[in-house]
Amino acid sequence: MADLRVNLCGIELKNPVIPASGTFGFGREFDEIYDISALGGVATKGLTLEPRSGNGVPRIAERHGVILNAVGLQNPGVEAFLKNDLAWLKSKTRVFANVAGKTLDEYAEICARLDGLVDFVELNISCPNVKCGGMAFGIRPESIREVTAAAKSSLKRTPLIVKLSPNVESIPANAAAAREGGADCLSLVNTFTGLAIDVERGRPVLANNTGGVSGAGIKPIAVRMVYEAAHAVDIPVVGMGGIACAEDAIEFLMAGATAVQVGTANFTDTQSCPKIIAELSDWCDRHGVKRVSELTGSLKLN
Amino acid sequence: MREVTATVLENKQIAESVYSLTFYTEEEFEIRPGQFVMVGVGEYPLRRPFAVCMAEGDRVTVCYQIKGRGTAFLATNYRAGEKLSVLLPLGNGFFVKEEEKKVAIVGGGVGVFPLISAIRAYANDKEIYAYMGFRNKRALCMEYEMQRGKSLVVATDDGSYGFRGTAVKAFMEDFGKIRPDVVLSCGPAPMLRALKNATAGTGVPVYVSLEERMGCGIGACLVCVCNQTGGRHARVCKDGPVFEINEVEL
Repeated sequence: MADLRVNLCGIELKNPVIPASGTFGFGREFDEIYDISALGGVATKGLTLEPRSGNGVPRIAERHGVILNAVGLQNPGVEAFLKNDLAWLKSKTRVFANVAGKTLDEYAEICARLDGLVDFVELNISCPNVKCGGMAFGIRPESIREVTAAAKSSLKRTPLIVKLSPNVESIPANAAAAREGGADCLSLVNTFTGLAIDVERGRPVLANNTGGVSGAGIKPIAVRMVYEAAHAVDIPVVGMGGIACAEDAIEFLMAGATAVQVGTANFTDTQSCPKIIAELSDWCDRHGVKRVSELTGSLKLN
Repeated sequence: MREVTATVLENKQIAESVYSLTFYTEEEFEIRPGQFVMVGVGEYPLRRPFAVCMAEGDRVTVCYQIKGRGTAFLATNYRAGEKLSVLLPLGNGFFVKEEEKKVAIVGGGVGVFPLISAIRAYANDKEIYAYMGFRNKRALCMEYEMQRGKSLVVATDDGSYGFRGTAVKAFMEDFGKIRPDVVLSCGPAPMLRALKNATAGTGVPVYVSLEERMGCGIGACLVCVCNQTGGRHARVCKDGPVFEINEVEL
């Protein structure tokens, strides 16, 4: 049996597989299907200081090999999460609290509220589906450095992961900016901004018009971006984008990721994450890999 | 709620662009009327949500309309014996109280299918008055199942079969005579709005089953929301699909 444990910012995960923010709620619904303590961690639905009701419907569309979503950060607010869900989720697995804000102060405030209570804070600076905040902070290196520093100033005990947008000019430049701002870790990619058109109506399928593209179709682009980020900075990287099986996860690990997140595949197959964990173990055994962490950055270029 | 591999027993056309899919599962599930299932189709990333039309032991029947590539793929590629990934049972379903004896059922188009599950569940204990609307005679199907209650009125928009007009119109013509204790409904939004207006002030509770594009189907992703009165978003898949008609904006 291969050792699936990985060390992320000094914190041990029992395995490198984490459901991605927005696809898994706070874990309760999936826990009705399987025991989520099998997971390396859970990235929560994006949290904001105040409750948000999100966008209109339809919020989801499907195209070949991908989906588009525009939920718009609907969430009950950080206080409701702390009160109703955190203790339960923490009793199950590592908690990656995904957070978003409208202003630098909001980012600092929500991080202060979570500091020491969760295992990681994952900074959402790349949500393509909200008008204010979200992606506005995640495009240019200067604003990435600024928002990261604001969040980091409130985090004395909890490691900070900055989640990068793929809708940018340079991944290495943005990765470096997050590092300079004080990020302990990076995660990428968030979704690609896309547009699906209902040709019968001559209108976008999504109420929000545009949405974030995710799923198998984005994987090669995401792997390339994870490779770029991992080679631009000396902090760990969590990779995601279209992972649906162990081989997909291994591509990200080889490209330089320490752990991976699984999003869209949770919709296709509710058991995706536990299946990937089991397959990962088998794959390592078949390939004589003793520790899954050996795979990180093991890619050799031609 | 479980994800299981089911085996297709039958997948056949029953009306214009409407198919009936029956599958069986290894284990039996208790499925309430009005609950639904999520069916995985080929390589499509999203499952398709279908209301349960009939459930008996390990057998489940859902009926679906071909609306896009996924449902077209399902109709052409899944023959008897094929395996199917199904998530079930999902949602809250209909609840008729003990004291509610006279149950009116008002359905339109593919909205009649979840109501068939209610007719089957309550036909023995309740007086069921069903009003089912279709575009025309070619869209009509499963009339036998809809007849299990005390009465059935089939309405067609063009008058090619039964009552000429909408199911809501047919229902309201009989409303004073029946005096239902509760109304269960499912159908297109304009039909539900018409029902809401027509029954407003009667004091009779009306429960509607809603449809929305879904992501996970189990309440985690917050994709399939509806507006509740008061501005809150409810999840159609988990808090619904059945809501009291005055609780939701239609």
